[in-house]
Amino acid sequence: MSAVEAAPRVEGRSNRGSTTWMVVPALVLLIGFFALPYLTIITMSLREASTRAVYGEGFTLAHYTTALGDFYIWGILGRTLLIGATVTVISLLLGYPVAYHLAKSRSRWTSLLYIFVLSPLLVGLVVRTFAWMIILSNNGVANQALQAVGLIDFPLQLMNNSLGVTIALTHVFLPFVILPLLGNLQAISPDLAMASRSLGASRMRTFWKVTLPLSMPGIQAGTILVFVLSISAYVTPAMLGGTGGRTMSVLVVQYLVDNFRWPAGAALAIIMAAVAVIFVGLYLRLTARAMRRLP
Amino acid sequence: MKLTRREFAVGMTAAIASMSLPRLASAQSSLVVPTYGGLWAKFWEENLLPGLTSATGIQPQLDVGLGKDFVAKIRAGGDRSPYSIFMGNENIAAVLRAEGFFEPFDLAKVPNAAKTFPQFINKDAKGIRAIVSPIGLAYRTDLVKTAPTSWHDLWENPEFKGKTGLYQIGNTGAVLFLRLVAELFGSGPDDFDTAFTKIKELLPFTQASWSGEVATALIRGDAIIAPVDWTEIMTLQDKGAPVAIVAPKEGVLAFEQSFNLVATGAEKDAAHAYLNYILDAKVQQDMAKAFYTSPSNSESVVDDALKARTPIVGPRMAEIKSYDWDSYVDKAAEIADRWNREMA
Repeated sequence: MSAVEAAPRVEGRSNRGSTTWMVVPALVLLIGFFALPYLTIITMSLREASTRAVYGEGFTLAHYTTALGDFYIWGILGRTLLIGATVTVISLLLGYPVAYHLAKSRSRWTSLLYIFVLSPLLVGLVVRTFAWMIILSNNGVANQALQAVGLIDFPLQLMNNSLGVTIALTHVFLPFVILPLLGNLQAISPDLAMASRSLGASRMRTFWKVTLPLSMPGIQAGTILVFVLSISAYVTPAMLGGTGGRTMSVLVVQYLVDNFRWPAGAALAIIMAAVAVIFVGLYLRLTARAMRRLP
Repeated sequence: MKLTRREFAVGMTAAIASMSLPRLASAQSSLVVPTYGGLWAKFWEENLLPGLTSATGIQPQLDVGLGKDFVAKIRAGGDRSPYSIFMGNENIAAVLRAEGFFEPFDLAKVPNAAKTFPQFINKDAKGIRAIVSPIGLAYRTDLVKTAPTSWHDLWENPEFKGKTGLYQIGNTGAVLFLRLVAELFGSGPDDFDTAFTKIKELLPFTQASWSGEVATALIRGDAIIAPVDWTEIMTLQDKGAPVAIVAPKEGVLAFEQSFNLVATGAEKDAAHAYLNYILDAKVQQDMAKAFYTSPSNSESVVDDALKARTPIVGPRMAEIKSYDWDSYVDKAAEIADRWNREMA
């Protein structure tokens, strides 16, 4: 091997050393504030229950077996995942055209649209959810409007169920699907679409065959973000879900904070986290496979 | 300036240590007192703590949160509690008491306890329910034709069917109501089967996590009647809302703020002095004026104007239904689970 060939390799090794060092602060942060708390939660979930101490002295799997054998818990878990999936799909359907428009637009009004997109994040979560309560309650703005125009005689149940939670979460998390998509769409060279058009493809065919496939990484990132945020959301389901829209996060907080059942609550939290990891893992594999098949 | 790795590590350690040391030092030398947000925190900051300092020389630090947060901190603190005194609803305090975190007060160090209505002093001074917020039946004056006079009206007045608001089980208001219903319709406050059967008859009802949410349901008209505390309704009235609250003839419930001496706390003498100040007749009067609590000191003076708005005072304090929560601790989880499954 010549000296010229060897030189970059030596420099590469040196770079690897310096970049490894750069990872250390984040690694320390992750271990300190993520791995260790998770280990504590796992340990807590294995402790015996007690009403005469924070937890019992021994270890047990009872909290897991009880939760996994309880149809009520399965029902709430299923509802949580369904809400997450629905919010993700609706957010994508609503968000994609917005991201597409923002990516292509040269209008001076684009910055205003950016503000609209970000507006759900500019208001505090509790305030925003209270606003949804005013809109969705039995005597709220939505029901009053529908009654005023004669579409309904009696108020619709728009909150204290999964519907209210889905509507409010979609509003909150829409920017999380738009922003990654926007970055992705802006990175796609306009020459590709122009080449497609010049070869005779229609606007629609160009979108389906060129733009949409190339925006898959943005879709993947945005949908994972929205799904994970939706299934782990607490404030919105707690305020708008009532008993009919209770999700796993609400149940976990109820176990931990309201009932002081730390071991049982910790077990529920771990079950929820495990289910989320499985679903996101499956989704990643499926979307990665789909992306590999792209032309 | 170029920093070596070693210099960087030493610098960072020193910086982190300098940030944490004053906190550690102050935690060791002063009393930390927990209280709630909103009107409560305002009163503590502007009135109670300055008054305490001038009366006793103690300069406590204030920690604003919820009773359940204070429980978590004491539990997590293990044998080094951040608080020497706990404040929270009596049913929540009972959990920590059962777990051995509290010890009895030395009443010789709390002279004002002698002037406190005896029903609020737990047996053997294991907790004193020093701040009392009665819960009555609140209703919309513009939407209710027949004002309630009895808890039974919730079941018997057809106007209220499907228009009742209740606390959800995570709130002390719900467990208080559960025990009241057990007492009204069953063999006593522990007859939970009867209570569940009767409360299910009220379905569908709006469930709220805290008093502010009950108030919102009343204002929106989603509920036209609800058990809620006087503080919330008086505040709404001050804003011009068409709501009123009555003391049902069978008696009222109450959020009873239980003060307990934390066994693993470092400032026990200061904790006694703080509780003594809380129980002071004038302080109790000021609290009643600030957020419509009922003075627990029998010598507190309540003028007619205040009495018209906060009627459960003086001899009428006997109308408050106080329950024993020590035995409830073992059933609490099962009852919360049952409520979640059946009250949907």
